[in-house]
Amino acid sequence: MTGGSWLCLLAPLGGTILITLLGTRIPRVAAGWIATTSVFVAFGGAIWACLGVHSRPSPPPPGFEPFGFHPMPRGEITTAWTWLQSGNFHAGLQLLVDPLSTVMMLIVSGVGGLIVLYSIGYMDGDDEERRYFAYISFFVFSMLLLVEGGNLLLLLVGWGLVGLSSYLLIGFWHERPSAVQAAKKAFVMNAVGDATMALAFFILIAHTHSLSFGSAFSVHLSSTAVNLVALGLLGGAVAKSAQIPLQTWLPDAMEGPTPVSALIHAATMVTAGVYLIARTHPIFEQARTIELIAAGTGALTLLVAGLIALVQVDIKRVIAYSTMSQIGYMFLGAGVGAYANGMFHLLTHAFFKALLFMAAGLAIHALAGEQDIRNMRGLGRLMPFTKWCFLAGALALVGIPPFSGFFSKDSIVASTINIGWYGWIFWACGIAGAFLTGLYTFRLWFLVFPGEPSPFVREHHHRHGRLEGSLTMLVPVGILAVLTTIGGWLQWSPRWHPFTDWLEPAARTLPAAVPTNTQEYYTSAATVLAGLAGIAIAWAIYSERTIKIPAAPFWRRTLECKFYVDELYDAVFYRPGAAIANGLRREFEEPVVLQAGPDLGETTLEAGGFVRRIQTGLLRTYVLFLAAGAAGVVLAFLIAK
Amino acid sequence: MNALVVASAGNALVWVVWVVAAFSCLGSAVAVISFSNPFYSALALIGNLASLAVMYLLLSAEFVAAAQVLVYAGAVVVMFLFVIAYVGPRRETPWSGGPSWQTIGAAGAAGALLVEIVVAIGMQASGSLSHDGKVGATFGTPAWVGRVFLVDHLLAFEITSVVLLIAAVGGVILGAHTRREVAG
Amino acid sequence: MSGPDVAWYVAVAAVLFGIGALGVLIRRNTLVVLLSLELMLNAGNLALIALARHWHNGAGQIFALAVMAVAASEVCVGLGLVVALNRRNLSLDVDSLSELKG
Repeated sequence: MTGGSWLCLLAPLGGTILITLLGTRIPRVAAGWIATTSVFVAFGGAIWACLGVHSRPSPPPPGFEPFGFHPMPRGEITTAWTWLQSGNFHAGLQLLVDPLSTVMMLIVSGVGGLIVLYSIGYMDGDDEERRYFAYISFFVFSMLLLVEGGNLLLLLVGWGLVGLSSYLLIGFWHERPSAVQAAKKAFVMNAVGDATMALAFFILIAHTHSLSFGSAFSVHLSSTAVNLVALGLLGGAVAKSAQIPLQTWLPDAMEGPTPVSALIHAATMVTAGVYLIARTHPIFEQARTIELIAAGTGALTLLVAGLIALVQVDIKRVIAYSTMSQIGYMFLGAGVGAYANGMFHLLTHAFFKALLFMAAGLAIHALAGEQDIRNMRGLGRLMPFTKWCFLAGALALVGIPPFSGFFSKDSIVASTINIGWYGWIFWACGIAGAFLTGLYTFRLWFLVFPGEPSPFVREHHHRHGRLEGSLTMLVPVGILAVLTTIGGWLQWSPRWHPFTDWLEPAARTLPAAVPTNTQEYYTSAATVLAGLAGIAIAWAIYSERTIKIPAAPFWRRTLECKFYVDELYDAVFYRPGAAIANGLRREFEEPVVLQAGPDLGETTLEAGGFVRRIQTGLLRTYVLFLAAGAAGVVLAFLIAK
Repeated sequence: MNALVVASAGNALVWVVWVVAAFSCLGSAVAVISFSNPFYSALALIGNLASLAVMYLLLSAEFVAAAQVLVYAGAVVVMFLFVIAYVGPRRETPWSGGPSWQTIGAAGAAGALLVEIVVAIGMQASGSLSHDGKVGATFGTPAWVGRVFLVDHLLAFEITSVVLLIAAVGGVILGAHTRREVAG
Repeated sequence: MSGPDVAWYVAVAAVLFGIGALGVLIRRNTLVVLLSLELMLNAGNLALIALARHWHNGAGQIFALAVMAVAASEVCVGLGLVVALNRRNLSLDVDSLSELKG
């Protein structure tokens, strides 16, 4: 079991190092295969670890829990060596293998492996392919470190490395200024989250002298301390998962290559926030208010993102906002205490979102880089495989049975009912979100795929032999389409729930977040109806053109400017910061600091010039100094007397 | 009573002589450094040396007084006068030339030295510099000086003579004409 | 016979020394500088003689004679230099030796 976890963690790292060391000695495509192999080896290690966890004896019955939860049920910590030691505080290079971490390991390495395989075809021909594959293997390693870390310190290391990989990959095409700026923006906003998390860790260390998952949560903290810690962790989660208020980096991150968007900004990195909340749920449960704030943030984000997605014209941006919205659902689930539901939606979301991105990537690749959906009408006639896969992903996204999204999204919305009066507000948000999801997703599908191909499409579309794309691109898309369709059947909450049971030892659902079966059925019906209503209206507007969109220029402009959040941040944070920096440069750095050198030189020269006047060259002067010296010596003798 | 009157008259005489000698010494010294014509300065030096000789006599140093007049006033000053006449007229005013702080510094340094010496004497004055009348009758006579020179301080005597020899040789070399190369 | 204390003589010597030092420091003519040097030497002699008389020690007078001899030799050499300078038509102004001026 632990061998599996080490293998899973280190294989992608080995891939990165191998690609880096071999450099230009290997052909570009070989780098791609090295990366793919390393990630699939990691997947094998994840399966091995998972089997190991499965075979461990189940934890003791619930009565025997001194602190309200078992500190380390069904999990094992394996330590390589002590990494950091200061006073009472130890942090080892520890990996944690328990149900929650194995789920994440499987998702990251499995879906990641498929996406890396897809990249071989997508990035074919790029000059810097090797760098790409080195970066992406490094990303997989970092993400695995994040989910496998046995203490919060290693989690933070993985957190930071994931942010770094994201920066490197968003700005992969570094000749484009927009890509570079987007990378910087992502990094800076993530850094805000990192800072709050670090502060939370400081408080934890101060109170518990430990960050290990086994022991850091066993100590009861004071109410202020635990609230601050939870708030800091929430800040980090919000930044990493692009929730309001730190959401503006995610749409811009679409500047990176499409596989990057699929892997990092849909399936894995942005879901790290949800994982964090699930992992540190003992702390959040002690700070219930903060947990509900997390749920509220999720609810708000899912609505706002859905609204903005209605007016986007870039195919990847629509999918990006949809990611933001779906993570809102996950936050909602984790925030009310239904951790397993949130994680299940994370799993299904990884399937269908990666599928959507990769199918969009097939379309973009076939149209030689075009991403504007207004030009793409009728693509389905020329690319049927893409069309059907995209449709599968879209239906899963909206939550129509039997596709996977139905099973996970509905259980989240249902779990909000019993937590209190605000639960109904969350429930309403969830239903409205489902409506919006149907609307924007099928707006996208109806604008791009059905109908007669547009002149643009006819002109620019090119095939890859007889296929729509290379095999390395089509195979992963196909696999994910199958998973999207059948993967949801893993769990249907009222009837069978193996997933929740699997996660029970690590992240038990709060009792308040468990709905009754009746509530579950009603909610499912409501979300499906809302989704179908959205699809119907989209069909009416965009396909049949029977309804015209109302003009409403003010709302349209607001949505197009993403509720002016970017402008707000620019005015509040960037302008004052830049003004202060310029002011300091003008007032302090240039006159004082930079002048110090020349001033020092001039002063020295002046002093020298002043002293030089003593050197008159006259004999009499030197005799004078002799006499003065003699007088001084006599004076000294007199004083000594 | 007679002895006392004679003694007191003699005492007053000594004082008068001393005052005159001292003032003329200092006055001629000021004159030495103040005249712009170096010839007059040398002449003022003669006056200085003569008054010093008088003071030596008051201090029971007869041989030294005689040597002072003979050697200094007789030989050294004459040499000065010769060279000044040879070199020709150079008039130059004191206190001129050089940076301003030079002159102020000079006055300050000289004054400081003066004050310090006076203070040193004053500090020593607690008892040890009081007038003590009696010295032997032979103190300061030539015979006595000669004996002390040749018996107690023979080394100083010999070294002094060597110094004089070297100076004489040096003076001759410095003053000699440069040899001209003879053609052929 | 009694007269002024030794202190008076030494005070005169001190003043004479000061005047001589002043002369060395402010005059530009080499010859006058040498004359002022003589003044300083004589001042030293006077102090020696006076203190010899006070402490009944003959060494003071001997030393004064030696000083006189050395002063004479020094004047001899110095004037030789002056003559040599004059013969080469070089300036006798002390201020002309200013190559060390910075």
